[in-house]
Amino acid sequence: MEYRTGSPCEKLNARQKQYSLIPTFTNSLIIMMKRTILIITLLTTLGMSGCKDYFDLNENPNQVITPPLKSLLSTTTQKTALNSQNVADFTSYFVQYLASPSAGSNTDTYQETSYSSTWDAIYYAMADLTDMKRLATEQNSSEYVGVADVMLSYHLNLIADTYGSGPFTQAFKAETLIPAYDSPEDMYNKGLRLLDDGIAELSKTDSNIKLSAADDLIHGGKREAWLKTAYALKARMLNKISKKANYDPAAVLEAVSKSYTSNADDAQMGVFLLRSPWAQTARNNALLVLDGWLSNQLIDQLNGTTYGLFDPRVEKITDKTIDDVYKGTVNGAGNSTAASNTVKDESYISLNSPLTGDSSALLIVTYAEVKLIEAEAALRAGNSERAYKAYLEGIKANMDKLGVATAARDKYVGNPIVSVGAANLTLDLIFKEKYVITYLNPEAWVDARRFDYKYKGFKLPVSAALTTFIRRVAYPTNEISENGVNVPAASPLSEPLFWDK
Amino acid sequence: MKKFVHVWLVTWLFTGLSVAIAQDQTVSGTVTSEKDGASVPGVSVAVKGTTQGTLTNAAGAYSIAVNSRATLVFSAIGFVTQEMAVGNRSVINVVLAEDTKTLNEVVVTALGISRDKKALGYSAQGVDNEELVQNRQTNLVNALQGKVAGVTINSTGGAPGQGARILIRGINSIDVGRDNQPLFVIDGILLDNSTSTTGSGSELRGMSNRAADINPDDVESINILKGGAATALYGLRGANGVVVITTKSGKAGALRANFSSTYGVENVNKFPEIQDKYTIGYKGEYDPNSFWPSWGPTVADAKKIDPTHPDKLYNHFKDAYRQGQQFQNNLSFSGGTDKVTFLSSISHLYHEGVIPFTSFNKLSARLNAQVKFSEKFTTSTNLNFINSGGDRYNADRFNESLNYWSPRYDVRDYIKPDGTMKTYGNNNPIYGAYTNKLKDNVNRLIGGVNFNYTPLTWLSLNYRAGLDTYSDSRLRTAPGPRGFADEYVYEDNALGFVYQYNTQFRSITSTFTASGTANFGDNLKATLRVGHDLYDRRSRSFGAEGNELTVYNYFDLRNAKSITPKQSAEDYRLMGIFGELTLEYQNYLYLTLTGRNDITSSLLAPNNSFFYPSASASYVFSQHLKLPQSISLGKLRASYAKIGKDALPYSTTTGYASYSSLPTGYTGFTRGDVLGDPTLRPEFTETFEGGLELGFFGSRLGLDFTYYHSLSKDQIIQVNVTSATGYSKAVINSGTMRNQGVELALRGSPIKKSNFSWDVNLNFSANRNTVISIREGLKEISYASQSGYAGSTVTQKLIPGTAYGNLYGTSYKRYYAKGSEGEEDPITIDKSRPIVIGTNGFPVRNTAQKLIGNALPRWVGGLNNNISYRDFSLSVLFDAQVGQYRYNQLDNFFSAFGIAKYTENRNETKVFDGVLADGTPNTKEVFLGQGKGPDGVDYNVGYYRNVYRGISENFVEDASWVRLRSVRLGYNLPASLFKKGPIRNVQLSVTGNNLWLATKYKGYDPEASSFNSGSNVTGFTGFVYPAVRSFLFSLNVGF
Repeated sequence: MEYRTGSPCEKLNARQKQYSLIPTFTNSLIIMMKRTILIITLLTTLGMSGCKDYFDLNENPNQVITPPLKSLLSTTTQKTALNSQNVADFTSYFVQYLASPSAGSNTDTYQETSYSSTWDAIYYAMADLTDMKRLATEQNSSEYVGVADVMLSYHLNLIADTYGSGPFTQAFKAETLIPAYDSPEDMYNKGLRLLDDGIAELSKTDSNIKLSAADDLIHGGKREAWLKTAYALKARMLNKISKKANYDPAAVLEAVSKSYTSNADDAQMGVFLLRSPWAQTARNNALLVLDGWLSNQLIDQLNGTTYGLFDPRVEKITDKTIDDVYKGTVNGAGNSTAASNTVKDESYISLNSPLTGDSSALLIVTYAEVKLIEAEAALRAGNSERAYKAYLEGIKANMDKLGVATAARDKYVGNPIVSVGAANLTLDLIFKEKYVITYLNPEAWVDARRFDYKYKGFKLPVSAALTTFIRRVAYPTNEISENGVNVPAASPLSEPLFWDK
Repeated sequence: MKKFVHVWLVTWLFTGLSVAIAQDQTVSGTVTSEKDGASVPGVSVAVKGTTQGTLTNAAGAYSIAVNSRATLVFSAIGFVTQEMAVGNRSVINVVLAEDTKTLNEVVVTALGISRDKKALGYSAQGVDNEELVQNRQTNLVNALQGKVAGVTINSTGGAPGQGARILIRGINSIDVGRDNQPLFVIDGILLDNSTSTTGSGSELRGMSNRAADINPDDVESINILKGGAATALYGLRGANGVVVITTKSGKAGALRANFSSTYGVENVNKFPEIQDKYTIGYKGEYDPNSFWPSWGPTVADAKKIDPTHPDKLYNHFKDAYRQGQQFQNNLSFSGGTDKVTFLSSISHLYHEGVIPFTSFNKLSARLNAQVKFSEKFTTSTNLNFINSGGDRYNADRFNESLNYWSPRYDVRDYIKPDGTMKTYGNNNPIYGAYTNKLKDNVNRLIGGVNFNYTPLTWLSLNYRAGLDTYSDSRLRTAPGPRGFADEYVYEDNALGFVYQYNTQFRSITSTFTASGTANFGDNLKATLRVGHDLYDRRSRSFGAEGNELTVYNYFDLRNAKSITPKQSAEDYRLMGIFGELTLEYQNYLYLTLTGRNDITSSLLAPNNSFFYPSASASYVFSQHLKLPQSISLGKLRASYAKIGKDALPYSTTTGYASYSSLPTGYTGFTRGDVLGDPTLRPEFTETFEGGLELGFFGSRLGLDFTYYHSLSKDQIIQVNVTSATGYSKAVINSGTMRNQGVELALRGSPIKKSNFSWDVNLNFSANRNTVISIREGLKEISYASQSGYAGSTVTQKLIPGTAYGNLYGTSYKRYYAKGSEGEEDPITIDKSRPIVIGTNGFPVRNTAQKLIGNALPRWVGGLNNNISYRDFSLSVLFDAQVGQYRYNQLDNFFSAFGIAKYTENRNETKVFDGVLADGTPNTKEVFLGQGKGPDGVDYNVGYYRNVYRGISENFVEDASWVRLRSVRLGYNLPASLFKKGPIRNVQLSVTGNNLWLATKYKGYDPEASSFNSGSNVTGFTGFVYPAVRSFLFSLNVGF
């Protein structure tokens, strides 16, 4: 007896596919019995050689092998925004936007804590971006390549600015399961290089496949918008090395000039499965999972305690307490009152804020921030007129973004404490204002370290584990167990990263 | 009430019986042996149903005065007991046959093949129905506890229907994701025994292992095949041992019916000890709404501030649990003619657990039928339908919330009239159990047909096809908030949700065997079996998770704001061709050779087809050599086997999975979790086993000793890899693991008389495991952990050279003199060294994770006694698991929240025993409490929160236990009562389970586990569903 290889088995497979998923038991038994007998008959009569296909089940029904570019764009744009929030979720304690309601909490007091899930989320996003870039290169889509470069650079910076370094050159390949770490300087240079590559790709107008507007959760498929974001991120990166000898304010200003021109350009994501993660924090807090308490450092700056000037943005950031004031919590000290934690006698992340409401967008990089970068670079370059103009524009843009009424905005900006005149503009003032503008953005921690935490009134958390402010976080414990041979030797969390020295 | 009736009946029956006995004639005679006709002295001659009796003299003669209606029972060591009705005879001579039961014992081996036990070259141990149901366990796996050597069984907790874990000869795979539990086979059909954790929240809700669907009352016998040679014919699926279940079948003759009914009550068998001195508040300050349940002032001080404070604190741990109960009913019919026999049964179980609102239901119906068409052709069918499932609750959450709950308030007062949670602030655990639900509902059909054809006397053909299919539906719900101003929302319920899941599973087993026997001369007999075996498994899961309900208690997906779909599919196929040749020389020397070739769908050609052999030999020297009379059986056995193993399905592929976190209206893909390897090779385990079986005095004393050694090389494992690879796991061929151990089974019958017998069964086994290598470039694989406060998280990890199951965590820093710090071992703790005390007067913590203990027992043992006296029977089962450690997360929380009894010393001062950094003894006296101490120093949150809770060493405890697993007392009503009418026998029994437990462990019964029964992780017994002590009352009526 001779059969063409496989054919009887294909029929068998076809029959199997028709088989109802919700059988009645008697029917199923009869069907099964019949089929079993059929299988056996086939197997014993045909012999095994004719039935190789029967054992060929290596196509995983739960996966696809080549996803379309747009299906990776939706994934990676969302992951980019969520990862920005993932990092801010703990760095916001270091910059004292947030303070833990319980005394001595790990993050609040600089204890070595393993932020494994954030590290993993960033790396998984980079893996998807690497694949999107590879597939886009194969399909000659300069737009997808460019967007992948920009987001890869963003993630590379999240790792480098938080941990110091991480695997990159050897990462995301099946060849090694223990990828080596790139040096911190390499991480920086590669990040910058990716932005330049991205800018080059996004400048092309003949992409074989254009960005899918419906699948781009950040810029709705607009190539020009991504190009501006690439420049905004480049400005950020160039400005980050302000402590280094090769800091070049002119280069920063050049990137700024090609970047955002209004709040409408901001890189942000505002669609969620249920709600913004910050809104979830606010809701959890209301449900007794205490979280999202604002620090007295932030509140005191905003409510006039620190600078003697009420900042109307406080109304857009948080709610008044039951005592009709804005009140922050001291980092490391926990809840200051003995009363039940459900009593709103402190200020929390608010659902009423345009930054932390259910459908509030997560901000990755904004026009207001770029203006303050411009202010800093211009000031460092000695161009205080440009600096002052950018400084005021940045504050206004931020207030507009938050929906502060024009009168209140102008009243604040017009106050001599803010409107000091170009000649009197200082880095302290720029960092002070940028501190509010980058509320809940991980970039705030980069600034805090560049500024050596010299914000007015900034104190070490109560019972801090370090004697100085925190400069880095420890490598995650699972990374140490899974890639221990490559993880750099542990340094104290007070040890500055390379650009911070 | 039942007890009372029982006693009354017994008394009545005894009085009645004694009247009936009267002696009116004398009977005499001699007793001889069938074998050589010699007279047998010392034979017990007893009058059945009385205490009357005598012994034969040196010449084998006896004489006894009896009633003509009496029956004489002749029994002696090494002989088959015989009964003789007296009638009007005055001389009764008896010929006793030798008891060769031990020699001719038949056991069910691989593929349902019945073989003489003496011919086996490997150890085999069985449990019959009587032994299985003696403690009325509803889960078949639990029913095996303590009854078989080499088998470790842990019920993962006391929840109704909760899964139980079974391991034969230890853990075999380095991969924590691989199943290490044995294959279950019922009447030749592969039985799925997975523990499904499909669906949100089911991980911690004590889901059933699927073998729990089988009704133990339906089971005739269970045979445990342990080593490689025993399981060789099952191929790779039998690599972890096989549990061969044979269900009851009907016997030709009159219709028989049996009804049994059981009612039981149960309570938590062991509670942790809690303090009753300090009330709600923090740093000694009273606050009736504080988050902190027990860091306040003493009750007396609190009462001065708050007159509404109760005089005594509640024991919220005891209060939160209730008395559980269960009902079991079984009805079976059997009978048939010489052509057709059948057995049908129906059983029902309803079980309410000790955590409020938990329950389990099981309905099982079975039909077994055999048809004998001719002497040459027979066929049989087995069908079993099961519906099972129940209300499951998260015991982890229940106990965690109990920790936060202040015993100043009654935890049982959990609900307001409007249905919302009643609380002073923290979540009420009972309200959680009341509202946060997971229900499962399984409909399952297990069925098979078997054809047996014997065309020639020396040739037989057998074909069996079987099906195991079920649908497992799960519904997970929680109501949304009501929106009342004073409403407290139970945290886990969030804004309400409804999740639905459905899994369709089916597996087909098909086995064909042909066997032929031939004799070569008088001395050599050969049996050859060849066969073909196919297993085809398919499962499909669908689910939808709906969050945020608009109507707070309408649990319908259409009422949810967002819906996330869940889906998965898996197909697996395996085929084997096998052969087995048995050579039998002169009834004392046996040799069995097997070979099997598997073709699997989970590896790629050519690696998907592989062959492996086994050989086993048995030498029954008692049949060969002249041995002392007292030795009735002597047998040596040895075996070698190589067993292949394939990969989990889809281990050879890598792709992109749906990214499900996107909002509705978006779809996306992301790299799959697992990096597959198309070049995966099968892994092989080589096992060697040797054993000795001895029988003394007929069947009165038996010993079975086994030593085994197994080495698994080049294992197929999924290892956790750094996320910098873009994957969370990678499948690789790597790693070597060794298991070796001993098993000892002793059976004895110290007393064997017609009216009084006592059987003892002792099982002992010890297994040692070593992870020899893991993977190049990898120092360790950490595979499980459970959190602890302030860095005291305990991790289970594999480090080459150490054993599977090791628990690592923080410890007290030990003193090493300056310059000798290098002597400190990076893994083990030198407990002989003094503890280092810091300048603040408190012990210093070593933050590096070190080995604190191993979670697998050093040895396990079981001791079962069955005593029968007249119509009474008594079974007493002890079992022990010794040398294992568990992380007690409960105690970690107890110290952090000031709940543990030992925290009552919080307002005392102490000089910690140890040395300062320079080696000099510590003399500093410190305050243990919170805030300012008597010395004026601010101790902040106190010793227990500052220091104690952060040291894992305090919470990894010796969890060895010895327990009185069960005692059962049964009474058979005398048959004379039922001479007329349909009733044939009536038995009343009472069973107590878990009556006594000896353990040093501070938490709940350490047998329970935080991980589900399908998991290989056994090191964590903190917030578990506590084990129970139960009392069951049963009535069994035969018709």
